[in-house]
Amino acid sequence: MKPVVIAGAGMIRFERRDEDSLVDMLAMAALKAMDDAGLGDHPVDAVVVGNMASGLFNHQVSIASALVDKLSLYPAAAERIENGPASGGSAIKHGYQAIASGMADVVLVVGGEKMREVIGPRATDVVAYMSQPEAEYIYGVSLPAMAGMFARLYMKKYGVTPEHLAQVAIKNHAHGLLNPYAHIQMKITLEGILTHPDSVVGNPVVADPLRLYDCCPVSDGAAAVLLTTPEIAQTLGKKPPITIAGIGQATDTHALHEREDPTDLKAVTIAAEKAFAMAQCTPGDVDVAELHDAFTILEIAESEHAGFFAKGEGAQALVAGETTLGGKLPINPSGGLKARGHPVGATGVAQAVELVWQLRGEADERQVANAQTGFMVNFGGFGNNVIALVLRRDS
Amino acid sequence: MITAYKCQHCGHVMYPYHYRCVNCGAREFETFAPSDKAKLLTFTIIEQLPWGFDERGRVLGVIEFTNKVRAMALVDVDADTDEVKLGMKLSVHWEPVRDNYGEKVYGLVCRPA
Repeated sequence: MKPVVIAGAGMIRFERRDEDSLVDMLAMAALKAMDDAGLGDHPVDAVVVGNMASGLFNHQVSIASALVDKLSLYPAAAERIENGPASGGSAIKHGYQAIASGMADVVLVVGGEKMREVIGPRATDVVAYMSQPEAEYIYGVSLPAMAGMFARLYMKKYGVTPEHLAQVAIKNHAHGLLNPYAHIQMKITLEGILTHPDSVVGNPVVADPLRLYDCCPVSDGAAAVLLTTPEIAQTLGKKPPITIAGIGQATDTHALHEREDPTDLKAVTIAAEKAFAMAQCTPGDVDVAELHDAFTILEIAESEHAGFFAKGEGAQALVAGETTLGGKLPINPSGGLKARGHPVGATGVAQAVELVWQLRGEADERQVANAQTGFMVNFGGFGNNVIALVLRRDS
Repeated sequence: MITAYKCQHCGHVMYPYHYRCVNCGAREFETFAPSDKAKLLTFTIIEQLPWGFDERGRVLGVIEFTNKVRAMALVDVDADTDEVKLGMKLSVHWEPVRDNYGEKVYGLVCRPA
């Protein structure tokens, strides 16, 4: 396989974007990545769009072709990749494969979702379409409900408390305040969301034991990376290229109840192991990580399943400040899904964009010092399709 | 009631149906019905339901029947959600669980046994 680098990265702020269509958002993010790479008039061989549900949210399909048209990138090949919340990670993987195989030299990967076009309960329903239709969906399950059932078991087994969950939210909102691209720009406190008797008003239960501030917001947004070969990146040459050193992916049972131990996120473990094996490094080599904290419990669980901490020790590491900016392994310096937001198909690409900025030293106030190796988990379904990536700045 | 599947090669019990055994990949299964008794393995109380539900405090859980079949189910406790406990014994019934444009959709409904 030929090596593949990220030569350009860009995103638009995640928020409610009533003025912009989905394809407009994709185009805005794409231009940022193309300009960041210094692409100029160099042709783009293929465009890969990560998106979960444009047909349902926006009544538009074939959005990759629509994006090529908006950007006048004809005759570039174009596809939309749908893999639920891991659509962005999958889109990067497909772009990687196209270049590694020699089929393409320059691939534009864009992730995006416009969810706020529908009302909240509709968005919750569309997201729940990823659950098992006959054994889960019919009961009115939502993704927060799946996470709630998972959290109850995980908390009992490993001694994770509501305060630990709140600390994930507090940390990621603090990080998000340093990220101009984050949807929620707000400092939150333990008193405000958990310990004050009135906190239940501003932080009501969504799916017990998870409350509002345990869940990511519903957002619109897009992010893009430009993939190419190291040789072409050198000719463009504006920014240090970031190597896609490892990609791992794994699946698990569709229904949560079919997992022998429902607290075991096997697909995260396997995807991470594969990514580290391909990158020939270990969790100990990682300087900065973007984990898929669609729910606070998932940041703790993924930090353990990816191999950064032993099972049951993720919450302690969090409380000790190890995963905060300035700590041993900063997790979600971007604010994560919790504060940056989670426009479903955009998330995996936005995670990669944040890592690129961190590895280049362009993350401003939220910069992790001397970050050389970055790692991300893009968690699809409720853990039934997971992508892990290792990105590296070669010194 | 739901139908469960027992792999004739390795004995693994599955629900819902898979074309190949989750455990060994074999394709021959014996079908059987779960019992009408189960215990609650985990649960959540959903206060913000997806579109299509006009209610709060809906309890969903993962149950394990006495004959080892596992499934997601609705737990009906008449709004007394404090009553719901991990490991609690349940009786299981086949009843409407949602309304789909006027058509009743049937599923597993549990009550404290």
